[in-house]
Amino acid sequence: MTGNHAVAHAVKLCRTPLIAAYPITPQTAIYEKLSEWEASGVLKGIMMRTESEHSAMASCIAASLTGVRTFTATSSQGIALMHEMLHFAAGCRAPVVMANVNRLLAAPWGFWADQLDSLSQRDTGWIQFYCENGQEALDTVIQSYKIAEQVYLPAMIALEAFFVSHFMEPVDIPEQEQVDRYLPPMDLPHKFDIDKPGFVVPVVSSELYRKYKHMAQVSMDSVKEIAGQVDQEFKKEFGRGYGIIEQVMVEDAEVVIVTAGSITSTTRLAVKGLRKQGNKIGLLKMRLFRPFPVEAVQIALRGKKKIAVIDRNISLGSGGIFCQELRAALIHSSDHPLIYSYIAGIGGTDVTPEVIQKISLEVMDRVDPFDQPIWVMDG
Amino acid sequence: MKIMGDSSLNFVIPISYGSTEVIETGKWGFQKPHTAFMTAPCQEACPAGVNIPQFLYLTQEKMYDEALFTILRENPLPGVCGRVCFHPCETGCNRGQYDESVSIHAMERFVSDGATNQIQNIQLLSKRDSKKVAVVGGGPAGLSCAYFLSLLGHHVTLFEAKKEPGGVMRWGIPGYRLPKSILRREIQRILNLPIEMRTGVRVGKDIPFDVLDEFDAIFLSPGAGVNAPLSMKGGHLERVWKGGEFLERINSKEKINLGKETMVIGGGNTAMDVARSALRLGSKVTVAYRRTRNEMPAIQSEVVEAVEEGVRFEFLVQPVRINLTQKKRIAVTLQRMKLSSPDPSNRPRAVPIKGQLLTVETDSLINAVGELVDLSWIPKKLIGDDLINPNSTPKIFAGGDAVPQPRTIVTAIASGKKAAISIDLLLRGEDHHEVLSKISVGGKGSLSMEAYLQGRDSGRWPEKREVVSYRQINTLYFESSQRVRMRKRQRNNVLKGFSEVNLGYNAKEAILSASRCFSCGTCNYCYNCYFFCPEGVISLDPVEKTREVDYLHCKGCGTCAKACPRSVVMMKEVV
Repeated sequence: MTGNHAVAHAVKLCRTPLIAAYPITPQTAIYEKLSEWEASGVLKGIMMRTESEHSAMASCIAASLTGVRTFTATSSQGIALMHEMLHFAAGCRAPVVMANVNRLLAAPWGFWADQLDSLSQRDTGWIQFYCENGQEALDTVIQSYKIAEQVYLPAMIALEAFFVSHFMEPVDIPEQEQVDRYLPPMDLPHKFDIDKPGFVVPVVSSELYRKYKHMAQVSMDSVKEIAGQVDQEFKKEFGRGYGIIEQVMVEDAEVVIVTAGSITSTTRLAVKGLRKQGNKIGLLKMRLFRPFPVEAVQIALRGKKKIAVIDRNISLGSGGIFCQELRAALIHSSDHPLIYSYIAGIGGTDVTPEVIQKISLEVMDRVDPFDQPIWVMDG
Repeated sequence: MKIMGDSSLNFVIPISYGSTEVIETGKWGFQKPHTAFMTAPCQEACPAGVNIPQFLYLTQEKMYDEALFTILRENPLPGVCGRVCFHPCETGCNRGQYDESVSIHAMERFVSDGATNQIQNIQLLSKRDSKKVAVVGGGPAGLSCAYFLSLLGHHVTLFEAKKEPGGVMRWGIPGYRLPKSILRREIQRILNLPIEMRTGVRVGKDIPFDVLDEFDAIFLSPGAGVNAPLSMKGGHLERVWKGGEFLERINSKEKINLGKETMVIGGGNTAMDVARSALRLGSKVTVAYRRTRNEMPAIQSEVVEAVEEGVRFEFLVQPVRINLTQKKRIAVTLQRMKLSSPDPSNRPRAVPIKGQLLTVETDSLINAVGELVDLSWIPKKLIGDDLINPNSTPKIFAGGDAVPQPRTIVTAIASGKKAAISIDLLLRGEDHHEVLSKISVGGKGSLSMEAYLQGRDSGRWPEKREVVSYRQINTLYFESSQRVRMRKRQRNNVLKGFSEVNLGYNAKEAILSASRCFSCGTCNYCYNCYFFCPEGVISLDPVEKTREVDYLHCKGCGTCAKACPRSVVMMKEVV
């Protein structure tokens, strides 16, 4: 099954009564699958075919505030168009869940994997997960509802174009009863109620705005802990768990490679090969990006000397975004490591085990700090 | 459920149960929408000034009594006009430029036929005044004048020379176009008002003209009831008829034997009435007209129906001589004519082609041209140019065929109405010309009684309304559709008697027809403004007939004015 279809299965299993979306490659398969199920009656909810992603998100927010579970899927230009409404979703504390298939942003035009579309939305107040494969995407959608509905914040699941969205892999689809047991019905402290009319997004004073923002930050911070709990509960029910980050052979590693998304799988393979050659390389997978799991990362990388962050994204004028975040997270660690920013896989270019090996060996040789991003132009 | 680290769950979602109404956003705007009813072109074209969009709207809403009352405010004879009017309203109809004009004529008939039973009496419109007015002549003009004067509170005495009122409607128009029962009902509704009706009294003969001096005002509407003598020899012959006399005898149910063939001379409505009546008496009929079909003054639909029924036409001929043949048939010598330069009425002149004569034989000949007003009983000082000069004496007014205007039922009704208003103004000592301009409907001379009553009773005259042009209609809101064709009596039954030919609309056809109205300039509660208003500040109530804008919260965006399909909402700058 493809990653897209895995996501669709998750939405169905969560009994989401309202889906509002607009098709865009490479997300369209999610939209199509849900549409097909709606038409055949398999999906019990309403599928709103809105005129734009902006409207799709607006619809999800409004529906969510009536107290129902909502879902949308988008990609690239779609999430860019949705930008304004992303702030509204978070500001209204609407626990909308969205799948974003990471596709490069124009111009120039293209359809290929690149994480910049969702990373550009990092400050909108959404929880963000980056998934390695279809199974993880399916599981993370289910987990996301459970997290979002506890903290009243929207959650985004990012999966890369084609590498995850279209690759076919075996995926275990949970039983409906299991999901029903795991995921309680949604509840909100305030719902739209026709008998008690109210309106959201009122004009507020400076002080009240600050209060809302502060409350959201407190809630967002709590996600780090709640996401971990939710993942453990998930493991108990379904036998699979991911953690908010994952360490692979980090303990004795001289160099730790940090990845997010599908490059993680390749790195797992590369690390095995490097270990066989006697190189002490470890892997740290970043799954939760917002909130950024600062404490977990500090613990995981305590005492490490050298770190290479591979980013399939570039914040022009700065560097890889995961690298920026990691550097910031470690700045107060005593004797913090040298952190190198590698830009690889931009625009869907292939990041092979050889590329990762090359990066690893290069970092082993490096002794001086290097502030600039290092572009990998192979492949 | 608890949010970790967050103590104020009640405030998590920024929701307000107060109201944004405290913010008076309406103060931001520099223009505001106003409901500004305008005059529809049909209403302007109607000589009686009937508020057509309003009565069609009410019909569509199945408020038939209100619809009829809307017409009766301006025209006392909708059952008649709904049958025999030349309906210039339909020519004016904006919808005519879109697909086909609304069938207003047939709708007037429907409303009149359907609801008359419920409205036997019309409520008096105004307080009674004790002035006395004489109306001489009980045709459409006289009846109309008496009706409106009575509603305005005056004591009216109506003198009618014949045994029954109705004039041309009673004695001219045959029953297949206007059934007598319909006419009787219409006249009865007028006479239910406190009008003193004196039938069989010919002023100037049975009573002297001076008798009228005792009245405060006088309205003269004698009608064109006299046929001009044939300008050739042979007019005295048996079976040579005058059109008016012929129709009068038909309408008196006299037996007439025309023989096998009849020739009718003329091209107007009388000629058509004569020709089609002659068909019903079993004769073959040929109409001889000196111009062509295009110049015929008759209502087009009358010509079409005459052709359908089997009337033959001979164009560009003029009879010059009549002889009796040995077999006692009539030999008519016809002069061939041709069209020439236009005359003062802008119709091409018919001029003889020298030497081209032809003779046809017929059993009867009916001359249906040249109806004249008998003015012999009227003092000479009141006469000018063969008609009554209404400006000669302040308290004497005239209307109908006796004044220079088209000789149609509706123009006669309009002249009666205009005279009633003028008389009322005279009796109240007010300036006649100034008021007439304030209550005119558009620019074609029609007057609004509704506007007159409003100004008369309150002293506040309504604002002058502009006429809605076709380009002011937002046609995107209308689907193309066709008129409902009126059902007619079956062809093979039509000529067996004088039963009505056109059968009218049923309710379904009428509502469909009414719904085709653009309702130019008149709000018909389509709710477009309501639905499009982004602020939700418009409230409409078709029952209470209210349209309100919450100006404290209307930002003046103008969407309602753009969305109004019928040019009712206007934006006005805030001063």
